Amino acid sequence: MSDLVESAPILPSPTLAEPRGRVPATLADDAQLIAACRRGEARAMEMLYHQYKRRVFGMAHRIVGASDAEEVAQEVFVRVFRALANFRGDSALSTWIYRLTVNASLSHLAKRGRRQEVGDEALTELPAPPTTERDSALAARIEAALGRLPAGYRAILVLHDVEGLSHEECAAILECRVGTCKSQLHKARAKMRELLGPGVREERA
Amino acid sequence: MSCTEIQRRLTAYLDGELDADRGSVVRGHLRECEACRLVARDEAALRDGLRTLPTLDPPPSLWAGVQAQLAAAEVADAKRPAWRRAVARWAPRAPRFAAGGLAAAAAITVLWWRAHRAPADDPSPSPSPVATLLAPVPATPAVPARGVTPAAGTDDVTADLTHDPERASTSYAQAADELVALATEARAQWSDERKVAFDTKLVELRATVDHVAEGRPRQRAWRELIRYLQGAVIRDEIALAGGAR
Repeated sequence: MSDLVESAPILPSPTLAEPRGRVPATLADDAQLIAACRRGEARAMEMLYHQYKRRVFGMAHRIVGASDAEEVAQEVFVRVFRALANFRGDSALSTWIYRLTVNASLSHLAKRGRRQEVGDEALTELPAPPTTERDSALAARIEAALGRLPAGYRAILVLHDVEGLSHEECAAILECRVGTCKSQLHKARAKMRELLGPGVREERA
Repeated sequence: MSCTEIQRRLTAYLDGELDADRGSVVRGHLRECEACRLVARDEAALRDGLRTLPTLDPPPSLWAGVQAQLAAAEVADAKRPAWRRAVARWAPRAPRFAAGGLAAAAAITVLWWRAHRAPADDPSPSPSPVATLLAPVPATPAVPARGVTPAAGTDDVTADLTHDPERASTSYAQAADELVALATEARAQWSDERKVAFDTKLVELRATVDHVAEGRPRQRAWRELIRYLQGAVIRDEIALAGGAR
């Protein structure tokens, strides 16, 4: 027993994904908000915007990059408000908005025909500092590595790991099977490890 | 279990998605294998790093931009003719209608094939209403055999119309009128050359409707007229969507 206790810290522990600071909206809340937005009530529209602005902007930022994030987020919100009349409630409002965001971001990338906006140098220029700034430097390296991933991997990593959504939610947003979603996440993380190189664990230690 | 197998399951293990038995297998392997343990620790650190990435606040200008774009879109809506708004409303559903159309066409084909094959290798019973409708018109109108009541539930409006040329013509004329109204609205923006071509064709097709014999020939003429009008309205919408004129 003591053996196990002693050796336990060397093993990474499994944990469940946790939504990051999201207040889960109930279906009734969503329905009321949607109805008010459909009636064109300015306060309801602003409330919906504030409820989703960080998620939409954050996703767009991490998929299309900083320079185009505002443009894509703006496009998403305009689509949300314009299409809300046709929203049938087959999925949760959040799922629908995430789906619009992912689709808008991916088509934006396709339209621009852009490849990667972050070069290899961005990763190597950010060595792990030995001070308390470690976490923010690691965050910067992770953001830079995210920018170098294929867009589909970026989308699944942001949805599952950054936003803390379940595989079922990710699959509904990406319109794929749960199994596909899991295998994509596995490949995306492997690619990230490859891009970041060994030693991420020391940086977080 | 090999290192490759273990590493394939690491993502699920770290996310707490493996059952107790499989989790125990992975844990047991990690206790003994230094290489896999390092990979697992890297992936756990990466996962935690991703989870704790800072939330990104949008610039304050985002909401103003959204409001401005919504206002611009609403002003554009107000200026669009009603028929374009109607087409825009229906356009997103077009694929579903197309799929429905394909399914219906497939069903009709199967029924037609079965109806025509029936005399040869299936001496059985009455053909379906749809097959009857599609079968070549007999020289004399089909009269139900005495004492045989029509099959229950065969309230097929199309079949009914086929046997009532007057009602069919009225329905076709109504559809054509609606399409002419749409085309007239769009016509204002056409070139003179296109207007002349449209008017000539329309007169020609309308004259055909009046001159052909009643029954199937007239219905065919109506359908041709309607197809032409649909084409004219849809072409205009496509040109508009593509920004060309």
